[in-house]
Amino acid sequence: MKVRVLRQIAPGTEPYWESFDADVPGETSIAGLLDHLNYHDDIVDDHGAKTTRIGWECSCLQGVCGSCAMVINGVPALACETFVKDLKGDLITIRPLQKFPVIHDLVVDRSVIHENLKQMNICIEEYQPEPRESRPEKGKAYLHQYMAAKCLKCGLCLEICPNYGSGEHFFGAIFANDCYLVSARNRSKTAEIKKLYGEHFGSGCSKALSCMDVCPMKIPTIASMARLNR
Amino acid sequence: MNKAIIIGSGISGMACAVTLADKGVRVLLASPFPSERSQSVMAAGGINAVLSERAEGDTVDSHIEDTLRSGAGLSGREAVTGLCTHAEEIIRYLEKIGTVFSVDASGHLLRRAFGGQSYKRTCFCGSATGKQIVSSLVMEVRRYEAAGLIERRLWSCFHSALIRDGVCRGVLLFDESQRKLIAEYADALVIATGGQNALFGKTTGSTQCDGYVAGKLFMQGAELKNLEFIQYHPTTLETAQKRMLISEAVRGEGGRLFYNEGGKRVYFMEEKYGRRGNLMTRDVMSREIASTGKEVFLDISFLDRKEINRRLPEVRDLCLKYRNIDIAREPIPVAPSVHYFMGGLAVHLNHETNIRGLFAVGECASIYHGANRLGGNSLLSALYSGKVAAEEIAGRENSGKTPDFSAFLKEENNALMCMLASKSSFPVMYIRDMAAETMNRDLGIVREEKALKRGISDIDYDLSVADRISYDSSGMPYFNYSLPAILTLARATLTCALERRESRGAHYRSDYPEADPACAAASIVAYQEGRYSVRLDKEFAYES
Repeated sequence: MKVRVLRQIAPGTEPYWESFDADVPGETSIAGLLDHLNYHDDIVDDHGAKTTRIGWECSCLQGVCGSCAMVINGVPALACETFVKDLKGDLITIRPLQKFPVIHDLVVDRSVIHENLKQMNICIEEYQPEPRESRPEKGKAYLHQYMAAKCLKCGLCLEICPNYGSGEHFFGAIFANDCYLVSARNRSKTAEIKKLYGEHFGSGCSKALSCMDVCPMKIPTIASMARLNR
Repeated sequence: MNKAIIIGSGISGMACAVTLADKGVRVLLASPFPSERSQSVMAAGGINAVLSERAEGDTVDSHIEDTLRSGAGLSGREAVTGLCTHAEEIIRYLEKIGTVFSVDASGHLLRRAFGGQSYKRTCFCGSATGKQIVSSLVMEVRRYEAAGLIERRLWSCFHSALIRDGVCRGVLLFDESQRKLIAEYADALVIATGGQNALFGKTTGSTQCDGYVAGKLFMQGAELKNLEFIQYHPTTLETAQKRMLISEAVRGEGGRLFYNEGGKRVYFMEEKYGRRGNLMTRDVMSREIASTGKEVFLDISFLDRKEINRRLPEVRDLCLKYRNIDIAREPIPVAPSVHYFMGGLAVHLNHETNIRGLFAVGECASIYHGANRLGGNSLLSALYSGKVAAEEIAGRENSGKTPDFSAFLKEENNALMCMLASKSSFPVMYIRDMAAETMNRDLGIVREEKALKRGISDIDYDLSVADRISYDSSGMPYFNYSLPAILTLARATLTCALERRESRGAHYRSDYPEADPACAAASIVAYQEGRYSVRLDKEFAYES
């Protein structure tokens, strides 16, 4: 099979496509494929010309840390849980997430995610949850908090979102879920959080909900939205 | 104290940062990647604490005794007492910052049973305890960031500590985004970089935890402790990329271990230990699996699919996703794998190393777990150690005028520039892989003198060539400059294992299969100009 990778030497340099030949079993993940290409005595492109090793980021390699988010055959996904056998055709294209600045090859700088949450001060100042017995829906809210707190901050939801650009004003699903986590447990801050949510998410979201399709943690962002819109 | 630098932003690093900030100390929290990428998010099981509402009969003393027993005489009573006594306070703190614990219908924290414990006392957050704690701590760190007390510095890799006259004055960081060295000065430096997985290549943990910082500090004069004590998880699944942990819950639900012989299944654990054979402790189980010399399977397929879906959904998904194994129909091939390091930087009760101003917390510090760790105590010790170090640091005087490190900086910068100018295509990973092969072969679950000596000789060879090779510099420079210290740490680990001529806790020597009361003290290893000296801490120098 052919593997095309969009590469970039350093921040600000011109990106370029490079192609490789690879023969790996279908069970190989894209993370495994990248390792396979990198760990030979030499790395050569599909014309046999020597090139440099492909930069990419990994940590847990089992879908719980979000490091290896990239775009595989046009779909934003984690490399460690995308398998060759599930991709159609003999050509695999891999590119970095394009909504974040590239550091090197497939490694991008996602610090804007954190920066926006910090700038808006999305944090619990004082823990004030609703008393459990007063909740009409019993444990559902609690379960949703568990789901929302699973967010990897990987950026896949922002990559696919038709409304998210570079995070200057519209902050995307990550922001909505963290807003929910604060508003549900710091009731004196709920009004302030709802206002920020409206400005930086609610008013800009066209409800394509593609964020939920690509979320590796399957976070039902729509439930955070419903609760914040109440 | 004015300012502290923390290296590593997992649970222990963040716990230290928020406690320092709460006391008004400014913190630089440096790590290559954000906290969401740390190994802490992989901790699934839970966190031990004897709460005021507890299992009948349970006491903090019982938690202390369980921890000491598991540590096989090598964990200090005072340290363990501090850990267990503060466990409830830590759980209440986590609740207060919004950690989503699993609770019953009336909102009380659920507890689960864990191996080696006398009572059900492990609090948990579904199957993602570490992740839930990370999420709440990230938000708490954010609060102090917004207040200007914590500064997060990403893309920052540890290079070396700035040490003069036995006092640590700061750190040299390598910024991967700018590809340059940056010196940062502070009154205290806290290391929170996790265990040394990379010594063994594929483990159950994160690829980011490689032991480099401990190895480098060792070369700079810090003492290391109990390196030979490495916990194996008995049931892990081999995948192309790593070893995946198959939760103990499978055995808890009745899972049976067997191997095939002459077309028949041999349930070797049950044959040797009876009905509860499949529930033996991690170290016994790991040794038994290794000693079969055969491919071992864990079978849960006799359970109804509905029950599997209800009770073991994570294990079901993992096996299906990574190996296409349907656990409701077929057994899971399992083998033990390196899982946790009881050893690391030697620290006193206040978490300071033998170098003044240099602290270590979390898995990279060795203090609470002795010769073997009790399940559910790692998250507890990560949080507790971060707080203890922070309280000590906050109470200290400022360290005064910073000495001139410019000559050291220039020298290190020149060496790095030479490394980055290399046109070689030889990947540094080849040497790391060779070393990992040696470690897995010669420092396995069952150890003996001949193999350990062979391992030492192989790592010495790797060390002798490591500095003379030019490496491919197109990848992350960190991988290139970290190699000698990682190899040095491997050599120190083998040396400790060779010197401990007994079996104790997770360290099993086939040539010395019994515990020797004369060896009931921690191993301390020091480094000086290529020499490794190991001593037993019989005076309990680190128990104060």
